[in-house]
Amino acid sequence: MAETTGQLSGGVAREPAARSVTGASIILVLAFAPQLIELLIALAGLVGPLSGRGPLQVIGAHASALSTALPSLAQQYAAGSKASLSSDVLLALIYTYPLIAVAVFTFMVRPRGPQDYFGGVVLMAIALFALWASSDLQGMRGFSFGAGTAPRMFGLLLLGLGAAIAVIGVVNSGAQLATYHWRGPLFVSLAILTFAVSIRPLGLLITGLASFLIAAIGSPETRWREAVIVGVCLTAGCALLFPYVLGLAMPLWPRFLLQ
Amino acid sequence: MDLFANLAHGFGVALSPINLLMCLIGALVGTLVGVLPGIGTIATVAMLLPITFGLQPVGALIMLAGIYYGAQYGGSTTSILVNIPGEATSVVTALDGFQMAKQGRAGPALAIAAIGSFFAGCVATVLIAILGAPLTKLALAFGPAEYFSLMVLGLIFAVVLAKGSVLKAIAMIVLGLLMSMVGSDIETGVSRMAFNIPELADGLGFATVAMGVFGFAEIIRNLDAGAEMDRDLVQKKITGLMPTRKDLKDSTPAILRGTVLGSILGILPGGGAVIASFAAYTLEKKLAKDPSRFGRGAIEGVAAPESANNAAAQTSFIPLLTLGIPPNAVMALMVGAMTIHGIVPGPQVMQKQPDLVWGMIASMWIGNLMLIIINLPLVGIWVRLLRVPYRLMFPSIVIFCAIGIYSVNNAPVDVVLAGAFGLVGYWLIKHDFEPAPLLLGMVLGPLMEENLRRALLISRGDWSVFLTRPLSAVLLAIAAGLLVLAVLPTLRRKRDEVFVESEG
Repeated sequence: MAETTGQLSGGVAREPAARSVTGASIILVLAFAPQLIELLIALAGLVGPLSGRGPLQVIGAHASALSTALPSLAQQYAAGSKASLSSDVLLALIYTYPLIAVAVFTFMVRPRGPQDYFGGVVLMAIALFALWASSDLQGMRGFSFGAGTAPRMFGLLLLGLGAAIAVIGVVNSGAQLATYHWRGPLFVSLAILTFAVSIRPLGLLITGLASFLIAAIGSPETRWREAVIVGVCLTAGCALLFPYVLGLAMPLWPRFLLQ
Repeated sequence: MDLFANLAHGFGVALSPINLLMCLIGALVGTLVGVLPGIGTIATVAMLLPITFGLQPVGALIMLAGIYYGAQYGGSTTSILVNIPGEATSVVTALDGFQMAKQGRAGPALAIAAIGSFFAGCVATVLIAILGAPLTKLALAFGPAEYFSLMVLGLIFAVVLAKGSVLKAIAMIVLGLLMSMVGSDIETGVSRMAFNIPELADGLGFATVAMGVFGFAEIIRNLDAGAEMDRDLVQKKITGLMPTRKDLKDSTPAILRGTVLGSILGILPGGGAVIASFAAYTLEKKLAKDPSRFGRGAIEGVAAPESANNAAAQTSFIPLLTLGIPPNAVMALMVGAMTIHGIVPGPQVMQKQPDLVWGMIASMWIGNLMLIIINLPLVGIWVRLLRVPYRLMFPSIVIFCAIGIYSVNNAPVDVVLAGAFGLVGYWLIKHDFEPAPLLLGMVLGPLMEENLRRALLISRGDWSVFLTRPLSAVLLAIAAGLLVLAVLPTLRRKRDEVFVESEG
């Protein structure tokens, strides 16, 4: 999941670099990304067979966690009780609040090396997320490591390193954000997704050709006639090579044809 | 002597028809991958992993090894002829190699690259054979503390020698270590950071991540470049392969130095072919009487890095076979291939699987011989391959990668994950983070954690164990020294200079 957030943040740089406002608001979105993703999954659960909390439950739980996180921490501290905080409250405390602070900070400063700054911030986000994700694991037991010791150790280390990179990005003038293109990434990802979704039900022949053509849209230089010809030949070659020559089990034909 | 008996045994294994065929396939695929920019060794080995299911372990590893060193040869061809390094290891070769080609001396450049690679390959083969047994004995003296310190040293090496910011490289390693912890804990079996997603319960697959950040991300980035990918080829016919006597005289010491340097850098964990070629080029430039010749077609600038990368590609098998530590990402995939066949890499492999180890070592020499034949007379064919336009090549690579990743576990989720990591890799490139240290961290993560925990358990929680055990202390001291050197501003400036020049 940490990686999913890293991937979302790819959007950070899609905007022109100089605007701290854009950067700050994207970090803000990043701060709420886990909650939003859980909400999306819950919404998907309405249609498909996914178990878990319903969307309304998700909204309610996170809203109350976000609003009461600090008081409940104070309360726990005052009472000195060992009762553990709920995972939602911990998410707010460990991940969301610090990132909101970073977003506010971003709004106020103008980083001189945006490439480093936003790179460091995202690493910090990943580290915080990992710290939250490993917060339910057991820590040190006497002198022996628990399951959570090493993740927490490296999580803290990454947090520090990310912060250092971000600070360098604020202080030292460095590279601007590189420009992102949407066409290549979008269609290559779509092709990969198509492959993953349809390889089982539709088989290699249809899936291979479809993914090939979708990926081909990713380049503006594609010429359709040759792409189709090459795609057909390549798929046919793969259909011979992988299942027959190399003996890998792989469905060739659509499932409905076989039934 | 034992050594010769072992080598003879190895040749007996490697010369069986099926293994010869595997070696040839590996060398051919390696050359192909080396020639084609846009698909690297790591992605290829990851892609071919599932294929090795159906093969004998010896044949499978011979083929995968062939791809690795074959790519070093192939990369030099395109660097020299068209100034497009097909592999990162040949980036520096392009500097002087392409200049030589422009001066009409492409033939000698290619020949020297091949001769240098062949010589380095032979030396490295012998070196593996000689060093294997004693290092295995040393490995038995290694406790968990020593293993941990050795891996720290390896990671620091990777940082020091990586290009760009030291801080960013360390951050990438730590991110890799963190990612390696997803999945069940080795000791307690508790699921860590997996969010009850069944596919994450076993952890993030190394091949999946490698394919994402090296395969898919590379494609996406190349698409950004768009029309720049159209390559203008040197259309001139290559005439006269034979180097002159002066060429041979100039390049002999360079080849020797490159071989030595490459062999050393290959053995060290964290090293590898890329670093070796850069280091060898820098060394030649430092030692040259007239450094200004470099970048203008100095034959030493071709001879040294090409020998070094080939030597390093082969000697990096030494830590894998003797200590069970993969020194770089390709070797980590080799571990994957060995695990598929139920072989646990480590000191015991040499004794328990002599067929495998010595057969592979012998096959390297045979493979090098094959590569000379594949490369020199067939240069024309490889160059023609470059004319396949990228707009047709990249969808094909996407499909091959997807099929490869899918067939590792027959799991569609793996394909989606690889795609996601492709986007992560694209983001990393855009923010000038190097993906190689990330992979190394991911590879060494589980081993490091296990040994750290074991060392601390044995010492009853006493952290000073890493400093009181002499071997471990020495390893850590070297690591600390290296890190200090890397952070020192003077050296860093020089280091940057080297890389800036080599990119220009």
